[in-house]
Amino acid sequence: MTEANQVILPAAETPKSPPTDERLRNDTWWYGPVAIIAFLVFWEVAVRSGNVPEIFLPRPSIVVVTLYDLFAYKHLLDDLGLTLFRIFSGFLLAAVVGVGLGLFMGTSRRFNAIADTFVAALYPVPKIALLPLLVIWFGTGNAFMIALSALGGLFPVLINTVVGVRQCDEGLILAARDLGASAAQVQRKIVLPAAVPTIFGGLRLALGISIIMVVAGEMQTARYGLGAKLEQAGQVLETGQVFAILLLLAIVGVILTKAQDRLGNFVDRWRAK
Amino acid sequence: MSSLGTRFEAISIEGLSHRFLSRNKPPTTALADVSVRFPSGKVTSIVGPSGCGKSTLLLIMRGLVKATDGQVRFLYGNGSGDVTVGDAPRMATVWQAFNLLPWRTVMDNVAFGLELSGMPTAERRAKAADAIRAVELSGFENHYPGQLSGGMKQRVGLARGLVMSPDVLFLDEPFGALDAQTRLYLQEQLSTLVESSGKTVVLVTHSIEEAIFLGDHVIVMTARPGRVAATLDVPLPRPRTLDMQKEPAFGDLFTEIYGLLREEVRKSMLN
Ligand SMILES: Nc1ncnc2c1ncn2[C@@H]1O[C@H](COP(=O)(O)OP(=O)(O)O)[C@@H](O)[C@H]1O
Ligand SMILES: [Mg+2]
Repeated sequence: MTEANQVILPAAETPKSPPTDERLRNDTWWYGPVAIIAFLVFWEVAVRSGNVPEIFLPRPSIVVVTLYDLFAYKHLLDDLGLTLFRIFSGFLLAAVVGVGLGLFMGTSRRFNAIADTFVAALYPVPKIALLPLLVIWFGTGNAFMIALSALGGLFPVLINTVVGVRQCDEGLILAARDLGASAAQVQRKIVLPAAVPTIFGGLRLALGISIIMVVAGEMQTARYGLGAKLEQAGQVLETGQVFAILLLLAIVGVILTKAQDRLGNFVDRWRAK
Repeated sequence: MSSLGTRFEAISIEGLSHRFLSRNKPPTTALADVSVRFPSGKVTSIVGPSGCGKSTLLLIMRGLVKATDGQVRFLYGNGSGDVTVGDAPRMATVWQAFNLLPWRTVMDNVAFGLELSGMPTAERRAKAADAIRAVELSGFENHYPGQLSGGMKQRVGLARGLVMSPDVLFLDEPFGALDAQTRLYLQEQLSTLVESSGKTVVLVTHSIEEAIFLGDHVIVMTARPGRVAATLDVPLPRPRTLDMQKEPAFGDLFTEIYGLLREEVRKSMLN
């Protein structure tokens, strides 16, 4: 049986090559933008030819000009900056506290037994229902807005972190311990990285909720910030301004979503393509 | 490790029993009063029906699970017959499920153990590169496990263990998840590697052929609760070649082991 000594490498041994194939190229990237442009053109033409009053539905071109004017003469950039500051301060707080608590809950049975009940009780409470209480505690300034944003973002991050930590493959932990990992090293080098994709999903949800919370909070109580300007414009029936600010919020949303996609792809770069 | 003039002689298991407790099931007795010895510099194969506690036995020897009862001792000798009990030698495990970290490249997976011990980056990379070369994976350093075939993954697993220069290598059904040809090829590679390194190897396998082909001794275990049914010597010279499977000694041993296992496998399917 001498041929046994010349075992041929089976086909399964060849590595999967990176995707360079024509068919895998993204050729649909322009569908979305073109659809939006078509929609705007339709809107513009329909409003013009239908003589719809501007106070009811302004044309897109007027919305864009109004948005420009708001930036040029009404310091809308300051409002934008303020709103983003409130969103991200709260979001960051939610991320740090949520991931920290989540790691702890996911790994310590005792701590989880305590914290789980609190989470179960607080999670379903609509955070917007806490508005009056937060105003009593924090007033209506930045502290209040940041608390609102943080509260909104906390639970998605916390819950996803706990799930991510729990579903960590036991085999990976054994392998790390076999190679001499301490308990702290197991946490830092196995459990946390294994949970990253799940945590990232939680962060995505959290940012969306933080945006909603801050804008809603500003509409209720604030004088500055996009939500406040939106509310004020609505009260004096400046429909053009209302649309302009909504447009700005949409643009912010698109930018943040795309940035998250990029970051998500980077975080997940090890997944087999 | 061992004091001057002594060398590692064997892992000695004495009266080892293990029970797994679980909340909603009666406790599982995985191992019952196992006493066995794994001599240094030899390959000891373990075969037994699935669920009989083979993996548990490895985890206990490796110190990753604490046994309910009994002892694991590491024996050292001074060359003149005196045996002392000492600290665990360096050990590493290769797993059936590979257990590679999917978010790390081949290089960073292989260097992981060295990284944990605090070795500087350049030094551990150099060592890992050597280990990667030894398992014929040069050129794949920057691939992620998800981009590799099963056979390649297990070679990464092997390199990750070998880079720690273990005195004892535990292999838990290392080729169980691979197709037949890949398996054959890796068995040959492993046999060459073991013969040239003189390492102590404990190999759990569900293939009787593999147990004989790679082993100096074969331990046959009973159905759960796992006990030692027999310890058999493999009467084949080294280096081993695949055509030894044609020898009568191989066939006789195969028949003997299968005879011992047959009834146990039947029992294991009933419980
Ligand atoms: N962590 C665990 N908790 C509870 N039962 C376990 C655990 N690990 C293994 N067992 C049980 O112990 C027995 C032996 O398992 P194992 O050592 O994996 O067997 P083998 O490797 O021989 O197939 C099996 O019945 C298995 O279900
Ligand atoms: Mg097993």
